[in-house]
Amino acid sequence: MSDVLFTNVRIFDGGGEAPFTGDVLVQGNRISRVVKTAYGQRSTPVLGAMTIDGAGAFLMPGMVEAHTHFSWNDQPSLDAIQRMPPEEHILWCAEVAKRYLDMGWTSCVGAAAAKPRLDVVIRNAINDGTIVGPRYLAAGQEITVPGGLGDTTQPHLPQPEFAFGAVVSGPHEMRRCVRMQAKYGVDTVKINLSGESITGMPSDMSQFTEEEIRVCVQEAKAWGKRVASHARSTWSIKECVRQGIEVIYHASFCDEEALDMLEAHKFEHFVAPGLAWLINTCFNASQYGLTREVTQKMGYHRELEAAIESMKALRKRGVRILPGGDYGFAWTPHGTNARDLEYFVKHVGMSTMEALLSATAWGGPMMKMGKQLGYIREGCLADILLVDGDPLADITILQDKSRILAVMKDGEFHRAPPVGQARPVRTGAPATVNRWAA
Amino acid sequence: MSDTLFTNVRILDGSGAHPYSGSVLVQGNRIRQVGRSTAPISPAGATVIDGAGATLMPGMCEAHTHFSWNDAATLGAIQAMPLEEHVLWCAKVAGRYLQAGFTSCLGAACAKPRLDVVTRNAVNSGQIPGPRYLAASQEITVLGGLGDETLPHLPFPEFSFGVNVSGAEDMRKAVRLFLKYGVDSIKLNLSGDNFTPQSPAETTWMTDAEVAAAAEEVKMRGKRIIVHARSAASVKQALRHGIRLIYHASFTDTETLDMLEAVRDEVFVAPGIAILYAMLNEAEAFGITRDMAIGMGYQIEWDAALESLSKMHKRGIRILPGGDYGFAFTPHCQNARDLEFFVKYLGFTPMEAIRSATLYGGQIMMRPNELGAVREGYLADLLLVDGDPLANLSILREPKRLLAVMKDGQFAKAPDIASQRAWGRAA
Repeated sequence: MSDVLFTNVRIFDGGGEAPFTGDVLVQGNRISRVVKTAYGQRSTPVLGAMTIDGAGAFLMPGMVEAHTHFSWNDQPSLDAIQRMPPEEHILWCAEVAKRYLDMGWTSCVGAAAAKPRLDVVIRNAINDGTIVGPRYLAAGQEITVPGGLGDTTQPHLPQPEFAFGAVVSGPHEMRRCVRMQAKYGVDTVKINLSGESITGMPSDMSQFTEEEIRVCVQEAKAWGKRVASHARSTWSIKECVRQGIEVIYHASFCDEEALDMLEAHKFEHFVAPGLAWLINTCFNASQYGLTREVTQKMGYHRELEAAIESMKALRKRGVRILPGGDYGFAWTPHGTNARDLEYFVKHVGMSTMEALLSATAWGGPMMKMGKQLGYIREGCLADILLVDGDPLADITILQDKSRILAVMKDGEFHRAPPVGQARPVRTGAPATVNRWAA
Repeated sequence: MSDTLFTNVRILDGSGAHPYSGSVLVQGNRIRQVGRSTAPISPAGATVIDGAGATLMPGMCEAHTHFSWNDAATLGAIQAMPLEEHVLWCAKVAGRYLQAGFTSCLGAACAKPRLDVVTRNAVNSGQIPGPRYLAASQEITVLGGLGDETLPHLPFPEFSFGVNVSGAEDMRKAVRLFLKYGVDSIKLNLSGDNFTPQSPAETTWMTDAEVAAAAEEVKMRGKRIIVHARSAASVKQALRHGIRLIYHASFTDTETLDMLEAVRDEVFVAPGIAILYAMLNEAEAFGITRDMAIGMGYQIEWDAALESLSKMHKRGIRILPGGDYGFAFTPHCQNARDLEFFVKYLGFTPMEAIRSATLYGGQIMMRPNELGAVREGYLADLLLVDGDPLANLSILREPKRLLAVMKDGQFAKAPDIASQRAWGRAA
């Protein structure tokens, strides 16, 4: 692994300041030097470092996806995800992990896996170099109640292997379930506290007793694990605050009290709304039978409005809102996750700067790595993107793989920037002659 | 996909013919033109690779591959790997074989029911890189035989390395299940192995009724049976049942050799002698001293195998490289070492050794007229080698000497290109 000097780049350092022209030196897996230079000025090369002239490209921290499901396999239903055999499923996860890194997500927070060990195995395989993928926090299966979101067993097929989630009833079963997930080595215990309209249980309904939730949180904390919750309903959002559940996914139906509670504890929680799911289910899923009529009847349009209002209010109150969520369905395919940033700008009222910060500055603590991640600053881990264009002017360019010129994770290029001489040959051009010489 | 023209290469075509200088044009996934002179072929839009005199030869074939053996020292330790990790292991190993110059591998058994099938499918769909692959079943064995790793107090089938059957109907059911999963080959253990002292190499324990049931099912579905057969009795049993791919064949008598020679145009023998050599000479670090290996019977088998295989080679029976790499003492991707063993111990010429990995490889992969040689119309599985493998076979084991690996017309390992070396100076 050689050191890398990026010169002549526009640096967005993750601190909220306007980008500046400068150089970034990466030594080992860390950023060792960040300096401002004049436009076009070239610094002297550093001994032993490969120099990359960015030609004014935008250099920013790698992005953090706050609600990732590698094992969702771009299918239209939970059942179709569950049906994939474990051997194929793990290869799918490995393929998807790489796709995230390709698209500039250098960290991802697992938000539930479709089979017990998928997330854990993928995290371990990334860490030991068996496969390539982002930094990853592994989740277990979603914990749910009989008949709740994630219980895909059928009356005549009651075997637990048919269930998408881990189905428990009562504090005793909850404790056993959390212990089993801790044994497998998850980082995060995921619990479904509210419904999800598409499964037949409306999003504004809630599930689990306070006691079951308490046991879940208590047991997870005893093992040093984090709890994350699917919480769309008002009660479930409040329950997250009351019980100290750090990660709140969705939070669609916030009432005034819920907003007050979240504001009062805003540095103890992360909110990842996963707006992509609501927006695309409402408007872009008709080819899967989810016409506007159907989704209206399900209540998704009403939920989308409520969720946007909730996020606007939470933004004003300074609650940390992060991108990511529920990519991996047929109408929200993996790799398109940067749409979330566009949605934040378009619907929630964030500036492009705020949207970028939501994917970077909040990412470090979301990954439990504090300020080591999410910044282009001396001493920080070298997770770096080189982008063709200015995301602050047009946030949508982050959705375009060809605009993400380079992806570096932990000081190593996952995707190296294209080199002048090696640009692809246009069709009709004369033959390229690449000579191998002894 | 762009076309590729190799110029200025020494072509070792795999057929046994002497190498010659020339050029090879690859279009799509096939070898379009082979030029036998230094006069260049017109590139016509192809990427030109100037070989500067390097050897161009067919990609090699490994005739007895276990992707799912995980470089552990015991069958139990292979079996103990959980399913998810095991799949990722296989995927990684498949990629490594391709990088090591094996563009084809014939699966010889996997450690869990679907590992081989899933790996093959993932390679074919382009999800992971890997060689052409024929997927095998688990080893089918009998209670107490090689591959039965259950313990008396843990009799669960999940603990077993192989699938244990008893009786023809059990066998039929096991075979049908694997055929359902989509294997290309059904693996039967007809003899024991000195690796498992409860069922040593010279024991033969499957009944004819059991073997016949398997053979019938496999024939019905158009698949192939492959067998672990170290003892003379097991080799003969295999031949009697029409089985044409025999692994090991260490112990033979004149009758066995006559039977093999009688079907020499159909039968393949892949002895996998590396494991015998390693157990005797290189397993001490893993707790098996030479004395222990001799005690297990490995010296007797080694001597017998060299004699049997040398005789087979003289009788014109096709002997192929590969076998039982994937243990701690025979780690994956050293497989080309078999070619050196063939020359050193079995009386092969280096040219015969190359042919056994190339031309015979196409035949054992069941693609005799399009795989395993540098010939016009053949599939473009090619290696560019720095040096002359005929002068020194061991260079085939050195990653640095394998300048390029092409499978199906695409580079799995692209040759180092001058312009890329200037990468660091791009600024």
